[in-house]
Amino acid sequence: MDSILSLKHLKKHFESQKAVDDISLEIERGQIFGLLGPNGAGKTTLIRMITGIFYPDQGEIFFEGKKFDPLIDVAKIGYMPEERGLYKKMKVGEQALYLAQLKGLDKQAAKKKIESWFHRFGMESWWDKKVEDLSKGMGQKLQFVTTVLHDPSLIILDEPFSGLDPVNTNLIKDEIFRLAQEGSTIIFSTHRMEQVEEICDHIALVNKGQKILDGTVQDVKQQFKQHQYRITGKGLDRLALEQAPFSVVSQKDNALLIQIGAQNNSSNVLRFLLDQQVEINSFQELLPSLNDIFIQLVGNTPTARTFEKI
Amino acid sequence: MKKTWIIIEREYLTRVRKKTFVISTLLFPLLYVALIGGMGFIAEKSKETLTVAVIDSSGYFTQEAIATENTIDPSSTLVLVNNAPQENNKEEEKKYDGYIIIPSLNWQQGTDSLIFNTYKSYGSASTGVVEAKLNRIWRRLLNDSLQLDVNKQSILAQSKIGLVTKNISNQLANSATAVGIGYIAGFLVYFILIIYGSQVMMGVMEEKTNRIAEVIVSSVRPFQMMLGKIVGIGAVALTQFLIWIIFVFVVYNIGAKSGTSLGFMTEAVGGIQRMMGSVNVPLILGCFAFYFLGGFFFYASLYGAIGSAVNEDMREAQSLSFPVTMLVILSIAIMTAAVANPTGPIAVWGSLIPFSSPIVMMARIPYGVPDTVPLWQLGLSMGLLVAGFLVTVWFAGKIYRTGILMYGKKVTWKEMIRWAFTKG
Repeated sequence: MDSILSLKHLKKHFESQKAVDDISLEIERGQIFGLLGPNGAGKTTLIRMITGIFYPDQGEIFFEGKKFDPLIDVAKIGYMPEERGLYKKMKVGEQALYLAQLKGLDKQAAKKKIESWFHRFGMESWWDKKVEDLSKGMGQKLQFVTTVLHDPSLIILDEPFSGLDPVNTNLIKDEIFRLAQEGSTIIFSTHRMEQVEEICDHIALVNKGQKILDGTVQDVKQQFKQHQYRITGKGLDRLALEQAPFSVVSQKDNALLIQIGAQNNSSNVLRFLLDQQVEINSFQELLPSLNDIFIQLVGNTPTARTFEKI
Repeated sequence: MKKTWIIIEREYLTRVRKKTFVISTLLFPLLYVALIGGMGFIAEKSKETLTVAVIDSSGYFTQEAIATENTIDPSSTLVLVNNAPQENNKEEEKKYDGYIIIPSLNWQQGTDSLIFNTYKSYGSASTGVVEAKLNRIWRRLLNDSLQLDVNKQSILAQSKIGLVTKNISNQLANSATAVGIGYIAGFLVYFILIIYGSQVMMGVMEEKTNRIAEVIVSSVRPFQMMLGKIVGIGAVALTQFLIWIIFVFVVYNIGAKSGTSLGFMTEAVGGIQRMMGSVNVPLILGCFAFYFLGGFFFYASLYGAIGSAVNEDMREAQSLSFPVTMLVILSIAIMTAAVANPTGPIAVWGSLIPFSSPIVMMARIPYGVPDTVPLWQLGLSMGLLVAGFLVTVWFAGKIYRTGILMYGKKVTWKEMIRWAFTKG
């Protein structure tokens, strides 16, 4: 697969802080990429460099194989920042038209696109409403539409689901999957780890301006697994554990949580259990949740960095 | 460039289509006319017809002389009485508005002043007619005593030396008109800078607090965003002024055609006609457009920078914009001095330095170019203003870029200046 965005040793230092300190990333076309990190880790600065708002102090950005040129390439990027808003007094249709024109679409083409998106989201009747009359969720939907309106090849969504009810969350989620299917690349930034597990193919974790983790969701989970297994079945309570190739973490009726040492593997465990005449109902490896990994990796970061000084 | 244009278009159209724009554009000239008409009307209305008791000890103010004068000018009535009214006499208060005691006089010497005792306070419009009456009676008495015939009387009445200033190197520079136009032009520029400058500030603040700024800066450069706003709002101001100029011309033409049917209107038209005849209108309008736009760019970019640096707090914006507003007000103070002495050092320096030149130069130009304002001064002033606003726009652009994406921090001017000189 070819990479749509490649960051090479990006650095951005502010007066009192190394906001981004030597980050390299490869993001492949069609990927849904989760960019994670605690508050003030440098995510927003990184995204602002990718969207051409900031210039990196050092390092290079390659977009679609060529050196990133903000003036041209921003037309192919759709960015929905975490702190987002719209002109309150402007009409919904005009607002969408305006933002689309700023992305370089001409008026007629923009109008057609808006109409089809409004139709898809059931927003046709909103055209002449003022933005201030929309609910927060409605505004969020409008914001999403204006982000993807110009068919960007790279879509950056920062906390796209905040303020959305479950129905609209699913609506946007399905759109994200559909857009990725059609070849758009999506960078997805959030603190909601269960959403990351559900949506993302690939993640990178950023802390204190540096990348501390990068890989597919499955790989990352494998990397951080504790070699714990959960077993359910009959006869677990009368096991002779002296010879067991594992240690028991906890036991409850007919369920057992075990820890396997480095020199053993699941086959050895199963062989041992079968030898002991246990009737196994289930045998499952327990992988850590991304949430656990996140907390494990960045949990001890002092929160002082939250007050990022720019 | 195209994107800047799209921003200008939005800034312009959303403002021009607002009801407040239409209302303020229509209301301002009406208010202006109403104010001028109203002042005349109130002055006329507040004039009262006074009945004044006259107690004469000189023997000059006879019943006959007073009766003659009362028929000539009925706007007030003098009544000859024998005794001065007593204090707190309600009867007298009802009959007369006041009384004048005339002491024994010698007609050769006369008197400097008499005291008009009144029960209430009256404006000079009302007491003036009483004064004029007494003076006419006195004049007739003198005429008779000196045995002046009608011829001699008219010679005396006409002999009066007035002083009219005339600039011999420039016939057009009629000083009174120049003062008038200078004040009007200077104050107009002042209003534009304050009103539209703060509109730029509010607009930038709106974008920042609405959090739309970050959405937009991912499509356009922050500098384009700021420039689009300034130019768009400047165009709104220009539109409003064009409408007013057209309004003046329409009123002028209607007034000129309809003759004398509308009292104050024809007076205004006459005034405009005299003004147009005595000054170089195209030059003044051209310079006005230049200084208004130049000054607007100069100050609007500073106001824009402030708007980008503050948070929702209006007080924060006010305290940061105070020094800028002070510059504008200082310019008005310099202008007042410049109108009084258009070639003095304060006027010359004030009209060259960019922060005050839009207001001060506009007050000097009506006195005449190139004699009161030499061409080199005008050229230098214009050049400096262009250089000045290029610097403030650049400076503001630097601040704007940092400020528009920064939240929750109180900034000072010192910090904003540091932003301008750090790399980005």
